[in-house]
Amino acid sequence: MRRKYTIPTYLAFGWLGVAAFLAVFGSFLPIDSYQTIHGDFIDSPPLTAGHWFGVDSNGYDILSGIINGARLSIFVALVSVGVGGLVGSFLGVTAAYYRGRYDGVVSTFFNVVLSVPNLVLALALVAVLATNVDINQPVPTWRRLATLVIALTVVIVPILGRIARAATLAWSGREFVTAARSMGMRDRQIITRHIVPNVLPSLIAVGFLAIGVVIIAEASLSLLGVGIPDGASWGGMIARGRNDLEYNPHALYFPIVVLAFTVISTNHIGDVLRGGLDRREGRL
Amino acid sequence: MRATFFLQRIAQLLIVVFCVTFGCSLLIQLVPVSPAEILLPVGSPEERALLTAEIGLDRGPIGYYVKWLGDFVTGNFGKIYYSGGTEEVSTRLADAFPRSMWLMIYTQILALAIAIPLGVWSAYRVGRRADRVISNTLFATSSIPSFAIALVLVLVIGVRLQWLPTLDYQPYSAGIWEHFKHMIMPVLSLSVGLIASYTRLLRADMIATLREDYITMAASKGLTDRRILWRHAFRPSSITLFTSAALNMGGLIGGAIVIETIFATYGVGFEVFAAINGRQYIALQSLVGLISIFYVLFNMAVDFIAGFVDPRTRDRRVNA
Repeated sequence: MRRKYTIPTYLAFGWLGVAAFLAVFGSFLPIDSYQTIHGDFIDSPPLTAGHWFGVDSNGYDILSGIINGARLSIFVALVSVGVGGLVGSFLGVTAAYYRGRYDGVVSTFFNVVLSVPNLVLALALVAVLATNVDINQPVPTWRRLATLVIALTVVIVPILGRIARAATLAWSGREFVTAARSMGMRDRQIITRHIVPNVLPSLIAVGFLAIGVVIIAEASLSLLGVGIPDGASWGGMIARGRNDLEYNPHALYFPIVVLAFTVISTNHIGDVLRGGLDRREGRL
Repeated sequence: MRATFFLQRIAQLLIVVFCVTFGCSLLIQLVPVSPAEILLPVGSPEERALLTAEIGLDRGPIGYYVKWLGDFVTGNFGKIYYSGGTEEVSTRLADAFPRSMWLMIYTQILALAIAIPLGVWSAYRVGRRADRVISNTLFATSSIPSFAIALVLVLVIGVRLQWLPTLDYQPYSAGIWEHFKHMIMPVLSLSVGLIASYTRLLRADMIATLREDYITMAASKGLTDRRILWRHAFRPSSITLFTSAALNMGGLIGGAIVIETIFATYGVGFEVFAAINGRQYIALQSLVGLISIFYVLFNMAVDFIAGFVDPRTRDRRVNA
């Protein structure tokens, strides 16, 4: 039943592994801080000795920017998908299992959040949560980061919640669930022993796709100027590179390529995992 | 049966729109500063009190919402407050909406025009080389964010080759070529992702349809493959595709924020962004309300149309 993994899948896992490694150990690598300004190397092209990815027009080394950006980009994605997935799947599973009015409320909540485009929702939340009492005082970075994560989490909740709800609906009607109930198993036990193990694979598959969604959303918010400031993430680097794309396009290309590879990898893995589940695709 | 279903959907529509706008108005109350202070940074206390009363913020959360809703349903979407004066949101919308609408229509037409032949072809040649090449290429392109495509297009076509203008929008009245010239790059960047997802949807459904007995029957009657594909298989397979296309409409109207910002198209998405950035809370609430109405309306229209086009297919897909 389990399909053998193909070369692209190994590549995707490999790429994500490298990105995860950089995210965790990037700050221990023997490279300059991403905030060091290399005044003599401004605008140097890629393959300059010591600056293999080149230097942008502010004098920031692009390679160390990318290594450093991995931390925040991946941290934001993992936390929002993790928390959003937990909340969403809890709501989705319980709604589909207990049905009734509770299900109605949860489904309406999902529909309401989904009816606002992702970015509009995230932008609105950031705008409200990152407002200081004194509006002329800039909001500290940690608070911008926190609001960003909260906003993206809210975006993820209904996406994964709906999947959890649909999958639970399909499984909770099965014979073994009825059997478990007739043997006197408690609802909580049925959910944790019988429903969750069956729902989890499709949630993990969609979770990988959601990571891609979050990485792109974070970059879009940076482009709009409300993301993490100072080019500390890949999106931030793209936003900064956009300003002088005419004279220094490689400052834009590298973060775009890295970001695209990461999203392609998560999407591909999500797809492979889902392909093993979906019966209609599985027959192909 | 139909009538109750219809009423249920309308009730759902109203509930969703109510929740979205009410949630939005609650968010505004959550802002730690009084909105009047933000909207009138240099105003005197009397002026601010006047504004607070005008918006209805002195009436508490419910009273404020009721006031806003009353204005909203009578077509008064509120004002945008500058240091120099005010501007009606509806005036802004009258300018921004056509831009978003054209952007959305061209994007959908381009995406469908490319995705339909590709989807049908790769379902017909499923598992062969053509199918694999199409699927893999589209998979890679679908993962590239639209702003990345937009930035690369700006750099290559706009800046290096200087073939197309990189900023601004021109209406039809400025000449058809002028109009299209400003639309090509935004439309391209938005449609690349859609092409991939549409093709995949159509391919999956076509493959399922081509296994049906009546297709075997049609083939055994000696009909040509082309006729079977387009006349017999395409229509019942296209429901998911058109559903998804319609669902994207609402998102494209308000969700093309980044693309509209990069190309300075200044459609509805950009207005939302400007309202958020300028803390124009009243305008924001009205805009988000309108976008969610659009989304839900298209959502509902799809349900009906899908049911009418092929009720049999609909039941089958629900049960599948």
